[in-house]
Amino acid sequence: MAALVLAGCGSSGDTTSTSSTTSASAAASSSESSTASTSETSAAAPAEVDAKNPSRADADLVIWADADRAPILTKYAQQFAADNGVTVAVQIATETRKQFGDATKVGKGPDIVVGAHDWLGELVQNGTVAPIQLDEATAAKFAPAAMNASKFDGQNYGVPFSVENIALVRNTDLAPDAPATMDDLLTAAKAAKAKDSKVSVLLDQSVGKTGNAYYTYPWLSAYGGGIFALKDNGDYDADKVIVNSAESLKGAEQLAMMGKDKVLSTNVGDDNAEGIFTSGKAPFFFTGPWSIPNIKKAGINYAISNLPSLPGGDAMKPFLGVQLFYVSAKANNATLAQEFVTNYVPTKDFQLALFEAGGRPPALTEAYDEVAAANPEVKAWYEAGKDGKPMPNIPAMNSVWGPLGQAAADVISGKAEAKARFDAAQKEIEKAIKGAS
Amino acid sequence: MAAVPSSLEPMKLGSGYHTPWWATAAKWGLLAIAGLFAAYVIQKLISSGSWLGVVITAFIAMCFLAVYGTRRAVPMKYLLPGLVLLVTLQIWPIVYTVATAFTNYGQGHTLSKQDATDRNLANSVKEVEGTERYKLSIAVPEGTDVATGEITFLLTKPDGSMFVGTSKGLEPLAADGIEKTDTGKITKAPGYTILNAREANKRSKDLNAFAVPVNANAGIKSVGISSAFEGAPTLKYDAAADTVTDTVKNVVYSPKNAYWTAPDGQTLATGWKENVGTKNFSDLLTNETIRSGFFKIFLWNVAFAALSVMSTFILGMLLALLFNDPKLKGKGFYRSMLILPYAIPGFVTALVWASMFNQEFGLINSLTHLNIDWLGNPWAAKAAILITNLWLGFPYMFLVCTGALQSIPGDVKEAAKIDGAGPLRTLRSITMPLLLVAVGPLLIASFAFNFNNFSLIYLLTQGGPFAADNTSIGSTDLLITYAFRLAFAGASPNIGLASAVCIFIFFIVAAMSYSGFRRTKSLEEVN
Repeated sequence: MAALVLAGCGSSGDTTSTSSTTSASAAASSSESSTASTSETSAAAPAEVDAKNPSRADADLVIWADADRAPILTKYAQQFAADNGVTVAVQIATETRKQFGDATKVGKGPDIVVGAHDWLGELVQNGTVAPIQLDEATAAKFAPAAMNASKFDGQNYGVPFSVENIALVRNTDLAPDAPATMDDLLTAAKAAKAKDSKVSVLLDQSVGKTGNAYYTYPWLSAYGGGIFALKDNGDYDADKVIVNSAESLKGAEQLAMMGKDKVLSTNVGDDNAEGIFTSGKAPFFFTGPWSIPNIKKAGINYAISNLPSLPGGDAMKPFLGVQLFYVSAKANNATLAQEFVTNYVPTKDFQLALFEAGGRPPALTEAYDEVAAANPEVKAWYEAGKDGKPMPNIPAMNSVWGPLGQAAADVISGKAEAKARFDAAQKEIEKAIKGAS
Repeated sequence: MAAVPSSLEPMKLGSGYHTPWWATAAKWGLLAIAGLFAAYVIQKLISSGSWLGVVITAFIAMCFLAVYGTRRAVPMKYLLPGLVLLVTLQIWPIVYTVATAFTNYGQGHTLSKQDATDRNLANSVKEVEGTERYKLSIAVPEGTDVATGEITFLLTKPDGSMFVGTSKGLEPLAADGIEKTDTGKITKAPGYTILNAREANKRSKDLNAFAVPVNANAGIKSVGISSAFEGAPTLKYDAAADTVTDTVKNVVYSPKNAYWTAPDGQTLATGWKENVGTKNFSDLLTNETIRSGFFKIFLWNVAFAALSVMSTFILGMLLALLFNDPKLKGKGFYRSMLILPYAIPGFVTALVWASMFNQEFGLINSLTHLNIDWLGNPWAAKAAILITNLWLGFPYMFLVCTGALQSIPGDVKEAAKIDGAGPLRTLRSITMPLLLVAVGPLLIASFAFNFNNFSLIYLLTQGGPFAADNTSIGSTDLLITYAFRLAFAGASPNIGLASAVCIFIFFIVAAMSYSGFRRTKSLEEVN
């Protein structure tokens, strides 16, 4: 029975981790939600990982994790349990974000939950997570960006274990060299198209009819633009939307040009972007580690490199998605939960083990260094995200995904002129934020 | 014969009829099982502290016993299971939705005001700058119970100095008889019983409320079971004035719109759930964006449902008429082929159609050599949805029409023929009216279903394409997808407002179905 549960969840593991990164993007979150309405598991409690584990009623600590990481987590939880003479139950959660909120509300939630950092704003707003008081020495062991991502309003709420971001993945049979600039990329792509008639998409990026703000952001960031201005303390400032700043508009104009030149298209979306690359129709693909299993399965020879720089600007910088351990505000076992996340999660062995399960660069610097020395692919992902900023975890970000994504789609499809369209998006975002608070 | 009161009949019958022993045994056996099940549920509910649930379950169990255990209430014996299911699965959700529609329930508004205030205060606790971490052992005075004894912190500073912390304050701890680990955690201290991990964990609630006071504001609190920090909340709640004060920034927050709000409009993160009266309804009627969107969506929603029903019905009926022809050979084969789209799960079909409608890579444009932006153009997207729904829906109509046609007696048609009616005239005056009587209610049901056809829209267009200045209202949105976006995917998920939309939808569908049923009734009377 346990094996069956594991196998059943394992097949959906990739999708889970994908949506955890981009879960906040309008497209991804809606697909997540639509599964919610269709899946029969919505009300069911998460499955136990292992029959040998204690059931949650007797457990001194209950942890929810996705199907990929639960087995590894179980191993370390057992060690924690043995060290402290307690029992720990690790449970596989699906639709974790929603289930965690619902279950916590009625006092049936876990003590610890594994989730993406961009849930944080919502979790704090709903009062479902508790602060985690990491001491300075421990906090300093993590990549600074990962530590930033687990903060909300200056308070720390999570302990990070992995960082993910998009990079440029290329088909090395079609494009042997990593391009440093967008011009290089386009030259190489056109050469590949001339050589191989199968190539029909020069640059494979998910846009879709309703757009995708997650993939739009790097175009803005290359010129110093973005979504929110930063406060003095490094937090995103919800009152300063910079979607139509002069810098962001330069990125928008690039998008317009890419649309006009048929480089980007709204006909490439979440549903077919991966398929286009894995069928060899595109030499270049902007994507994250979640696509790699399918690329490997398709037998594509690939390499990972940094996002290129744009003409007249800097390199494109992606959003970072950080995976965290959260402690529930209504944890029945708050003491052990805090002990686990502050003393076990920040250890090298633990972070290395979670790397084995998820394949994303560890957030603990010491663990990352060890992994990167042996695994060039992980290093490539990390390098591509080195200058990136965490995806905003403030609730105002909810108001951005739809309008910004649609603005990018309209500019790429040529339906609207860049400045006017991004001005409108700015106005809509500001209005939504004001209405929401 | 007529003099015999009819009420005597069943009595006579009853006296002559003996219930076999096994039927009685089975009845009581089933009742006992039901009783055990109810006892199990009640026990579960008691352990989770849901007293309302206990009362309701006990009431239902009692109803079952009264209805099936006695010889009275015969109609109820048939009705009760249905009634219970009706109440739990239909009435209760409706009541809950209506109740929610009068609140601001949604993201940031899930807790009570008290809980939300506590949460904001707890989240504001920060480590006092320049202080060091202590190594911690949680203990109780020797001789007291580990589950109830007064919590005492045995603390070690990084320099090795030791302290005892109680709710009264911090005192030095003499080194006599103390045993420590390498890291400095005290493992034995005379006069104290040190709690192990499980015992400490069992007292999480006490520990949560416990702090060793250091000064008027700051206190030492535990982090897990082995370390402690000196922290202080930056927020203070003033119950008398009902305000929250930020002692660092010197800002006073007062309650406004279910948030603690500063004079400059900044709010604390966690808000609370409160009753907002009819605000959600008035918002729907007065908010410019929502209102214009609501009517636009409403018109398309009606058009979508009506056109879907009409197109699927007409196609289904024509095919049914065609395949009802007695001269046709191999009907069984054709009929089962036509039912195939109905047999494939709708979700799969919708996703396949979505990829076929892709402007550049889709099958439809490449076969027809058109270059229609099916899912990006508002009108093309509407057409795409109707086409997909036609594909999904016609087999159902084909099925019901086939059934209805076969039940129309052949002599009626023959009579029409003898009266000199041609095939068209027969169809219009004989077949159609008889067909409509049979399928009329199904058409209304189909209309109501399509009116709320959430999955089709979400899988095909997600409500889009959207206008340039408003991504909350899409050109293929139905009221239900619009309500969903308001509730879960919008700028600020607002379940209260979405509930209000659902109530509007309920009345709209109810009104339309009512008038529809009246029409079919008059149709029946004509016949």
